[in-house]
Amino acid sequence: MLEDVITAKKNLFEPGAHTELRMQRNRERDVILLAGDVVHNTRADYSGVSARVYRGGRYGFSSMADCSSEAAERVLLAAAENAAFLSAHAPGDRPALPPAPGGCVRCAAMGDPEQRVYVDFIRALDGYIAAKYPKLLSRRLHATEDSMEKLLAVSDGTDAHTVSPRSYVYVSLTAETPAGTPVSRFRAIGGAGTFDTNFTDPAALYPEIDRLYEQLMQKREGVYADAGLRTVILGGELTGMLSHEAVGHTVEADWVLNGTVAGRCLHKRVASELVSLSDFAHTAFGAPCPLPVYVDDEGVPARDVPIIENGILTGYMHSRETALRFGAEPRGNARAWLFSDEPLVRMRNTAIHPGKDQLEDMIASVDEGYYLTATENGQADTTGEFMFGITMGYEIKKGKLGRALLDTTISGVAFDMLKTVDMVGDRVEWESYGFCGKKQPMPVGLGGPALRCKVLIGGR
Amino acid sequence: MEQLEYLAQKILDAAREAGANAALCVTRETETREFNLFNGEFSLLRTLFDRSVQLSLIKDRRKGSVEINSFDDAAIQKAVTDCVASAESAEPDAAWEFDSEARDETNTAGPLVCDAEALFARTKELAEEVAKRHPKIVLEECYAKHVVTRAVCRTSGGVTSRSAEGCYELSLSYSAHDGDKSSSFYYGGVMLPSLDKPFLDCGLIEWELSSVERQVDNAPLDGKFTGTVILAPNALAELILSTVQWNFIADDPLIDGTSIWKDKLGQPVADPRLSLSFAPRAADVVAGDRWTGEGYPAENWEVIRDGRLVGFMLSQYGANKTGGVRAACPVDRWLPWPHIPAGKQTLDEIIAGIDRGVLVMRFSGGEPAPNGEFSGVAKNSFLIENGKLSHALSETMISGSVADMLQKLRALSRETLRDGGCSLPFIAFDGVTVSGK
Repeated sequence: MLEDVITAKKNLFEPGAHTELRMQRNRERDVILLAGDVVHNTRADYSGVSARVYRGGRYGFSSMADCSSEAAERVLLAAAENAAFLSAHAPGDRPALPPAPGGCVRCAAMGDPEQRVYVDFIRALDGYIAAKYPKLLSRRLHATEDSMEKLLAVSDGTDAHTVSPRSYVYVSLTAETPAGTPVSRFRAIGGAGTFDTNFTDPAALYPEIDRLYEQLMQKREGVYADAGLRTVILGGELTGMLSHEAVGHTVEADWVLNGTVAGRCLHKRVASELVSLSDFAHTAFGAPCPLPVYVDDEGVPARDVPIIENGILTGYMHSRETALRFGAEPRGNARAWLFSDEPLVRMRNTAIHPGKDQLEDMIASVDEGYYLTATENGQADTTGEFMFGITMGYEIKKGKLGRALLDTTISGVAFDMLKTVDMVGDRVEWESYGFCGKKQPMPVGLGGPALRCKVLIGGR
Repeated sequence: MEQLEYLAQKILDAAREAGANAALCVTRETETREFNLFNGEFSLLRTLFDRSVQLSLIKDRRKGSVEINSFDDAAIQKAVTDCVASAESAEPDAAWEFDSEARDETNTAGPLVCDAEALFARTKELAEEVAKRHPKIVLEECYAKHVVTRAVCRTSGGVTSRSAEGCYELSLSYSAHDGDKSSSFYYGGVMLPSLDKPFLDCGLIEWELSSVERQVDNAPLDGKFTGTVILAPNALAELILSTVQWNFIADDPLIDGTSIWKDKLGQPVADPRLSLSFAPRAADVVAGDRWTGEGYPAENWEVIRDGRLVGFMLSQYGANKTGGVRAACPVDRWLPWPHIPAGKQTLDEIIAGIDRGVLVMRFSGGEPAPNGEFSGVAKNSFLIENGKLSHALSETMISGSVADMLQKLRALSRETLRDGGCSLPFIAFDGVTVSGK
């Protein structure tokens, strides 16, 4: 655990200037097996201290790769000098940041399993795959953990000592089509927690591997989608990506200030009345979120942000500074990735709320369209136009699932597309393995139920 | 530099004492000063003092790696112990290797001291000029920084390479707005050895800003057609070059045999007018790497010459696994300094020869399939009709096959993007599916 040398430095904070002093450690553990060989075997640890000072609408920031008391004093001084430099060269006239609730959040320590734990686990999985599915063209397994520990002292607000571990096994299988073309399927398994707590028995993952192989064999016989605007059922994984990419980014208040479509839509209808969407802090639908956040890196206690309620856009996600500009209340969305990163407005666990429809009924309701179940990447736009890569899906013909699809992409304009939602599934699926990219990477959770809607699909 | 060199040797010695047969250590110190603009206003000034130790070692043909950012004795000792334990947990693999040909070199390049006042002035000038020349552009985020890195790479085989390099970097993202109308966001940037020129005169920044400003008026494409797509340099890198690198010529697809080019060395894979190299030592590159991940000197490397595949991007490990030849350039980076020689036609001349097509500045799509088939959104794009740029497009997708497109190359432009990291023209490809609503 980090030794707290920063709380005692609060007496050095400049009176009247909002100040954050943060000490942080990130660790990354990675083992990759390619065709049975360990091709990547790495442990990385990054730690240090940073300070940020706010003065008249300008921030100064400084960081050092050093967790000493002296380093804390040096970054405090440098951050104050940087804020003074900007205030002198580009004077701002914004008022002081509004105060946040005081207090202190403390989390338990986390373990750090040795590298052999990662290697042995995926070697066992790899052995299972190699023995059971010898005709695969390629198999790639990746055991990974990335974890953060943060100590935070703020001039006003909530001090904190938090840990955020998460770990996954990524499985990628490749086979050849009858024509000799390679096709792949990928699955990430895991979530919050260290690797040794999330993965104790390789056999527990065998059913997931078998399902992945089955999908790969379906995809091996897959067809191209027919490009154009189509009726689709988005699986929960896709709905999660939609919540994050298509809506979430457009309602981050810093993006709103830059002119996203959501800036013109507050309190207006942006989706069918069946759609509600929130950015959850730590608990959603009666259960812990995939990646819980209890306090952010500005010392604001984390609370849920309702974004769309019954189709009406109701709010944005804020930092303290954007909340000041909008006259809104920050709810703990300002987060930083490394000690050397400044907090930015980030999502936490963003999801569309479940509805009442059964997936089987939703598929049966489509005369001709697609059921899209897996994605590996997506991107948003200020206009609300989004795209997701689709890595698994099926034709729907006369209410029945048909052939699998080859890889494709879907796109749409979020607030147009969400108005076409006319069925919402009753079961929420969550994903949390990826990183959101916005100057810095950031782990996020995203989820939702199946949706019936219309989107533009790429293909032939 | 002396401390970095001493530290690297001390770590190599500790690795040897712990039983390593071979080891590579890179010690590095970085200092960054960064001005941030948000929404066209100065918002943040950052100064970052970072450092790192990277150690890779081979013990009994097993490899492990660690990276830390502490020079503290206890942290370093733990890193060595962890690295040995990691290696011991792996299976033996005779393909692991570091450079063992002794060399002693020192390289210095670029401005090693930040001129903070000049950097501030150039950044302020950028914000003011954009507001004046391009009133519809909202400069969403802009980072103008100076980075100086001092690093030493040593291997147990006798390599000592010292590097001290400084550069200025600009990255910016923006969109155009006019009432309720807006363009897609766009991003770009440059790396510079000096602040001699205004930022707007660097790379293609002025052309990109002008183009995005025109995209505020856009409309979806009606229907679907197969036609010509001109990829601007950034889209060319995002779609074509990254697929070539990661799906066709990198270690993984060649080791596991999923590359569709695995048997194509020496054969035509593209139109004869196309040549492609990855060139960290090119004269127009700012702060290119000095060594590869295995400690070899970083040199320029040809991949395609006159349409023929002449080199894979294999590490020494990949070369040993496949029986191939190690690439001279660093292979574990995304698009390490790509260079494609310019063509003979201007962009306007290329457009004039196209009946129906699209000019794409940015590609936003799913990961291309292993065989290079792709689909995605043609962001920041214009419709081309009857030899002229027509309106900007929204909600328009392109799909096709990267391998096929390289064979159906129509033209390369005389204009190139030179951003300190690449030299790339606009390239027109035939036979791409373009679909709208």
